[in-house]
Amino acid sequence: MAIQNRDSFLDSLAANLGRPRRTQGIERPKWSVSPQFEVLNQASKDELIDVLKKQCEVIHTDFKRTDRTDLVKVLRETIEGYNGKVIVASSDSRNEEYGLDNFYKSAAEDFDVHLWDETMWKENQVFAERADVGITFSDITLAESGTVTLFNNKYNGRSISLMPRTYIAIIPKHTIVPRMTQATRQLHEAHISGNAVSSCVSFVTGPSNSADIEMNLIVGVHGPVEVTYIVVDD
Amino acid sequence: MKVSLFITCMCDIITSNVGKDTVELLERLGCEVDFPDAQTCCGQPAFTSGYLEESKKAMKQMMRAFKDSEFVVGPSGSCVGMLREYPKIFAGDPEWEKEANNLAAKSYEITQFLVDVLGVTDIGSTFKGKVTYHPSCHMTRILGIRDAPYTLLKHVQGVDLIELPIKEDCCGFGGTFAVKNSVISGEMVKEKSLHVSETGAEYLVGGDMACLLNIGGRMTREGKNVKIAHITEILNHHQ
Amino acid sequence: MSIKISNAPYNERVQEGVKNDFMRKAVASAQGRFRSGRQKQADELGNWEDWRTLGEEIRTHTLRNIDYYLEILSENVSKRGGNVFFAKTAEEANEYIQHIIKKKNAKKVVKSKSMVTEEIGLNDALAEVGAEVVESDLGEWILQLDEDLPSHIVTPALHKNKEQVRETFAVKKGYEQSDKPEELASFARQQLRQEFLAADVGITGCNFAVAESGAVTFVTNEGNARMVTTIPDTQISVMGMERIVPTWEELDILVSLLTRAAVGQKLTSYITSITGTRLEGESDGPEEYHLVIVDNGRSKILGTEFQSALHCIRCAACINVCPVYRHVGGHAYGSIYPGPIGAVITPLLDGYEDHKELPYASSLCGACTEVCPVKIPLHEQLIRHRQIIVERENKGNKMEKLAMKGFAKWASSPAAYKLSAAAARPALQPWSKNEMIKSGPGPLKGWTINRDFPAPAKQTFRSWYKNRQKGREV
Repeated sequence: MAIQNRDSFLDSLAANLGRPRRTQGIERPKWSVSPQFEVLNQASKDELIDVLKKQCEVIHTDFKRTDRTDLVKVLRETIEGYNGKVIVASSDSRNEEYGLDNFYKSAAEDFDVHLWDETMWKENQVFAERADVGITFSDITLAESGTVTLFNNKYNGRSISLMPRTYIAIIPKHTIVPRMTQATRQLHEAHISGNAVSSCVSFVTGPSNSADIEMNLIVGVHGPVEVTYIVVDD
Repeated sequence: MKVSLFITCMCDIITSNVGKDTVELLERLGCEVDFPDAQTCCGQPAFTSGYLEESKKAMKQMMRAFKDSEFVVGPSGSCVGMLREYPKIFAGDPEWEKEANNLAAKSYEITQFLVDVLGVTDIGSTFKGKVTYHPSCHMTRILGIRDAPYTLLKHVQGVDLIELPIKEDCCGFGGTFAVKNSVISGEMVKEKSLHVSETGAEYLVGGDMACLLNIGGRMTREGKNVKIAHITEILNHHQ
Repeated sequence: MSIKISNAPYNERVQEGVKNDFMRKAVASAQGRFRSGRQKQADELGNWEDWRTLGEEIRTHTLRNIDYYLEILSENVSKRGGNVFFAKTAEEANEYIQHIIKKKNAKKVVKSKSMVTEEIGLNDALAEVGAEVVESDLGEWILQLDEDLPSHIVTPALHKNKEQVRETFAVKKGYEQSDKPEELASFARQQLRQEFLAADVGITGCNFAVAESGAVTFVTNEGNARMVTTIPDTQISVMGMERIVPTWEELDILVSLLTRAAVGQKLTSYITSITGTRLEGESDGPEEYHLVIVDNGRSKILGTEFQSALHCIRCAACINVCPVYRHVGGHAYGSIYPGPIGAVITPLLDGYEDHKELPYASSLCGACTEVCPVKIPLHEQLIRHRQIIVERENKGNKMEKLAMKGFAKWASSPAAYKLSAAAARPALQPWSKNEMIKSGPGPLKGWTINRDFPAPAKQTFRSWYKNRQKGREV
């Protein structure tokens, strides 16, 4: 696509810096410190889960832990707890692996379920807008901040974790890492090895909130008002 | 140990008792104190107002005055802080860079000198009263002195030391700021005065007379009965 | 709007701020919370200084090679279907965006909070071409409805209370509920949801762009930037040219510094990185994407002693610790960028003429420099501004200039110094009473408006010392 005015713009930056324009050969220096790798660097997966659980209190997020056998039961309870009637979920390949395929099929009697469907185009968004529960898997989970990382794509629309009143993230235990450092390193390395990054990477940390009125914390503004994380032991 | 006193122009002219306390204190701890007579002002009033060339004239005078000193010790975090900035100001100056580095390296604020150089924490002094301490900005942020004054005060017998709320906040002095932006400076010192009152202290202690005169001047204007005392006055007290 | 937000003289703006009791209480309470939040996060990490060092190194490297990284960024955004427009000035940026709006025949534009679009006056430009602009950040929406201006770069409506917000909603939007913040926010959610769905074009700012892959990142809590980047088919991101990082790995560091320093959160609710247009088969995200990279005076700062001011990541930590800001509020600065960083960059971006008082609106206490997560020496840059105002711009006060010439003579001559030291007490005698001056002459007047000044000591230190030495010699 078009790039306009670039050369004159960048030439003048170089001129202000008092040197010829640089177009190649720039390497990041080795930084003198790397504190980001020190955070939780000794923690086991289970310890990371404890950190995540504790952080969930800070970010107003319900934390649940289960295994594959009970996942469907816990998920159903959570949906019912949210008084959920209309559900939008990603059509993730992991749905089958974790037994959610069958759940979404069988739940059709009790709930109005929509799995993101690339052939339905904008209908997906319309559905997400009227859904009261959105469900996705977490691709990388950051213990320190209590964050689920979502690589949005044609199976996992941006709207699912955004537009419904409530959001449920299913967190496979193996996706848990200490902090954002591990996620961004993965993104960096994927880029280096030629894999194109998702059109949207969403780092989601609990429900939406605002402190714009007299600095009072209001949970739930444009995005979900309530969020549950369900950690699934591998 | 040979110590040259850097009196600061304010303590020379306005509050000379601080200088006396500083001299007596250092001598009691076995230092041989001299007073280089050619010293004037560190140059800060001009420097922070943007008059670099004018301030350098003062700074050069100070470098001349303390040229042969072993240690330079002063009763002000801010003025000593200014001396420590000389190397940045004279960087690349063929005539003065070395002198600037030399002066900065041997200059100490009094509490810093006592604790870090002399290694003293208990002066053996006595002072009865409720005291709160204002950690002045330049002492804390330019010189990085955070603990020394507290360490020394805690060892003074009879001192009831009460923490000042939001102590790290500027009192509003800021050199010419107090005059140029007198409205804002006035609001800042009112708030500081309020915080001092909240402690119920009888004495407001600090390591910079300018800040103390600012806060103290506000408190007398408000009719408050809180006395100001430079930390050397407390440390040089024996009853 | 532009960088300059007021035509009132500086002193008037200050007076107005100082008189606004509600605003001052709100600011003081907000500062308290921001400060303790930031401190808690720094303490929890334990090695905060290392983080700051890393932040500074990253910003320094990136700014030194900014032409290189901007080129890489533009290539990558373009490869992923985005258009990139380099705008030297606010006018160029606005014209380009107006052109898109007209081409798309857009009637409604929804925006997420962005300082750079405030800086270039984009909303006025959009109104010129007949587009209705809706600000979707709660604070910005309140200000837009009330036709007011931001007073803080992170929480723009900090100066407003909930009663005022209720009133604004009632008058402008027919709101009928209470002034409870939850009810107000819930009303805003319903209203703005409809705006998102109806918008033809979405406009965002940009916290950081990742050069290596072309991802443009937004840091928010409310989720409005996600809405803006999810729903409209045409989207435009406007970035200040310095808001760039080499790779995803540096994004981690700067985002971690930003959320901690700004609001005391480990991460905000949403960190969203979008790259170009939506891919085939995707139902949301933009079909058409434009990245507008804005200079608007920034390049003048490159290569100067103020270059590190461009390191700023707009966290407002300096604003949140500034005692001057606490007492006068954001509007008193007369700039879209208030507080210490505002006092540094406003004259750089918009000239000294209209903003020559700002570098003096600081007691130089250094609290700003101490908290800055990317180590901008803010208070030192304020002093440097003062030097330029005095020496180069020749905008210093004439009396002050004379006084400083006098100071230089006085302080470089021990003899003159000694004479005047001895003369200080008698000279001030007419104004002294009981060793106190309640109303002083000349420059002392500014001091004694608010506080007393002691009469000079009866004996100067040096004369005491001299006598003492004499006594010892005898």
